[in-house]
Amino acid sequence: MKVQVRNLDKVSILDCSGDVDLYSSPRLREALLAEIRPGGPSVLVNMSGVAYIDSSGIATLVEGLQLSRQTQTRFGLFGLRPNARSVLELARLHKVFAIFENETEAVEKIGSTSSGI
Amino acid sequence: MRIAIDSEPRLLSILRGVVRFRAQEAGFSNSEAECLAMAIDEAAANIIRHTYGGRPDALLALEVRHFADRLEFILEDWGPKVCEELIHPRSLEDVRPGGLGTFFISSFMDECTYDRDFKDGNRLKLVKYLSRKGSTCNEGSSSQSG
Repeated sequence: MKVQVRNLDKVSILDCSGDVDLYSSPRLREALLAEIRPGGPSVLVNMSGVAYIDSSGIATLVEGLQLSRQTQTRFGLFGLRPNARSVLELARLHKVFAIFENETEAVEKIGSTSSGI
Repeated sequence: MRIAIDSEPRLLSILRGVVRFRAQEAGFSNSEAECLAMAIDEAAANIIRHTYGGRPDALLALEVRHFADRLEFILEDWGPKVCEELIHPRSLEDVRPGGLGTFFISSFMDECTYDRDFKDGNRLKLVKYLSRKGSTCNEGSSSQSG
């Protein structure tokens, strides 16, 4: 799995690709913890390149969500493939996360939201 | 078939590949094969994390048995005995990191049992029937993967 960070105006986008599993999820966690901080930018995770995500990957996203609430950082996901979306739905987390179809929508909505998503 | 790997997280992708291949070969759909791959991945990850405490130099083995109506996946480790009574899916109402692996295993598999006669570690048998309706995969939460 690869994680690359892009910094837009007041929004950081983490582009993830590959499998997010027990081996790779610590890399995603490290990137999330670095980006989600008090007074920092909104954070979006681009999941369009994620072919597989397991419970450790989901746990990492939940940890990011919790940290975003603590730091009042806007946080969301976009570009989920059907597989990843189904896993989140099965775990009933699809309504917990702010999930957007694509980057354009995510940046627009995250940018226009007044409090932490 | 039977394969054995070191207890290194980076090798879990090998197990997933084997499970997908055998599941599709046995007649499961791609989405069902993804569910099975995830279930086995979660079970193996639990062995690495909990039974072996993250040790990368221990061994775990996967055996796949193909029957006319089902696939059986046998996972063996040589760590301390698992206390079966302590393993159960947690409530989904509790939104917190972790604890979902067992939930996914029980969602995707039809049977999940430990062999109490296996003396030197743990032997977990996970069974998926080809035509059984009602499980998460067969209902077509469909594109369920990973």
